[in-house]
Amino acid sequence: MNAIDMGVLLGLLPDFGTAALRTLALLAAAVAGGLLIGFIANLARELGPPLFARLYWVYTAVWRGVPFLVHLFIVYFGLPSAGLALSPFQAAALTLAVYSGAYFAEIFRACWRAIPAGQIEAARAAGLSRRQVFAVIQCPQALRAAVPLIANQAILVLKESALASVITYPELTMTAGRIVAVQFTYVEPYLLLALCYWLLAAAIARAGRLLARRTAIDAMVKK
Amino acid sequence: MNAPTLLERLAGYLPLLAHGAATTLLVSLVAIAAGFVLGAALLGLSRSRARLAAGAAAAYVSFFRGTPLLVQLLMLFYLPSAMGLELPPLAAAMLAMTLNSAAFQCEILRAGLASIPAGQIEAAASFGIARRQVFRHIELPQIARAVWPAVVSEAIDVVKNSAIVSVIAVADLARVGRQLVASTYRPLEVFMAVGVVYLVMTAAIFALGSWLGARMGGGRAGARRIVEQAAGGQP
Repeated sequence: MNAIDMGVLLGLLPDFGTAALRTLALLAAAVAGGLLIGFIANLARELGPPLFARLYWVYTAVWRGVPFLVHLFIVYFGLPSAGLALSPFQAAALTLAVYSGAYFAEIFRACWRAIPAGQIEAARAAGLSRRQVFAVIQCPQALRAAVPLIANQAILVLKESALASVITYPELTMTAGRIVAVQFTYVEPYLLLALCYWLLAAAIARAGRLLARRTAIDAMVKK
Repeated sequence: MNAPTLLERLAGYLPLLAHGAATTLLVSLVAIAAGFVLGAALLGLSRSRARLAAGAAAAYVSFFRGTPLLVQLLMLFYLPSAMGLELPPLAAAMLAMTLNSAAFQCEILRAGLASIPAGQIEAAASFGIARRQVFRHIELPQIARAVWPAVVSEAIDVVKNSAIVSVIAVADLARVGRQLVASTYRPLEVFMAVGVVYLVMTAAIFALGSWLGARMGGGRAGARRIVEQAAGGQP
């Protein structure tokens, strides 16, 4: 097997740089959208009528029980026949947002459940409405507890974003594949590709740890 | 002759989808089983005192958990052919999924092993119980109960991840879906049918997993049994 050609590797950096930015753009859109959707889903389940709880269950069960690739195919290839034609980025970002939204919703649900019931009972006894309990008692604590879980899920979203290459969004994986097909070099592009994802994942993990430490309440910090 | 109705079309897809589902389940089963064996071996390696072995295991786990499965699959499919080895798509798919699952199962088993209090093993040793007996009767049942939910979760993830092998032309459920779309030009209903089949598979694994978990004594059923035994069977 040939040794790794550093010249080739360095020559790939510009292409991989732009591709990495596209991956990050997709990741940012997906995580922002997913957090919003997940939060609203959990909010609806907490404060809404029982119907919303059932809808929540259907949403999380269906979107987590089917592979992301299939969701992507439905949105990118299927929706045009129903009238909605999206670009690869739009389809990937939308599908990834709704897909990760299901996971974020479950994270939020777990964090909401983790708050001791006694606090909620005491607040209600003191006269706070359900909405006030949600905003003032549950949100601050649950969201802080959710930070490490959200960071972990963001890494999973990063890995899932590689599938956007299948619907021809020119992010990292598709760029590497294109270079391999054009230049007939296999080792350097794929090595660089794996390295890029690995570094991005490590960066997200680092950022998550920093954010968790910054936002932690004293009682939550492990001594 | 009238154009086929939706129900008739769906019935027509069923045999092909069933074939694809069978391939999906085959790849998934191999990945889960071989991944378990490899994962257990990795765990043993990572606990070894030889630093090279432990470091290699840690690097393996970090790589296979930190990079996308699609990238791992493409590497395992295209790199061997650059070295002169021809790997058939199905073999590459099974290999990639096995190596990937092994990393996750290694971590699952690590957590399960850590959950058994060391005192139990020490107490058993002080009673003179042989190491192998300790493992078989004390550690193994508890590890199995502790890791079972995570194993079921991993099995579901493997089945979902298996859809990725369709990009290297393995005739799994997702690829059968794409072929049907190419011949019927009805992407929405075909892919939704594919989604339903995946949903049925993952739901079945979840139901089976929960039932087996309860039978092993975990969860609410297990807790109830322990309480009943403690109360001497009396109400």
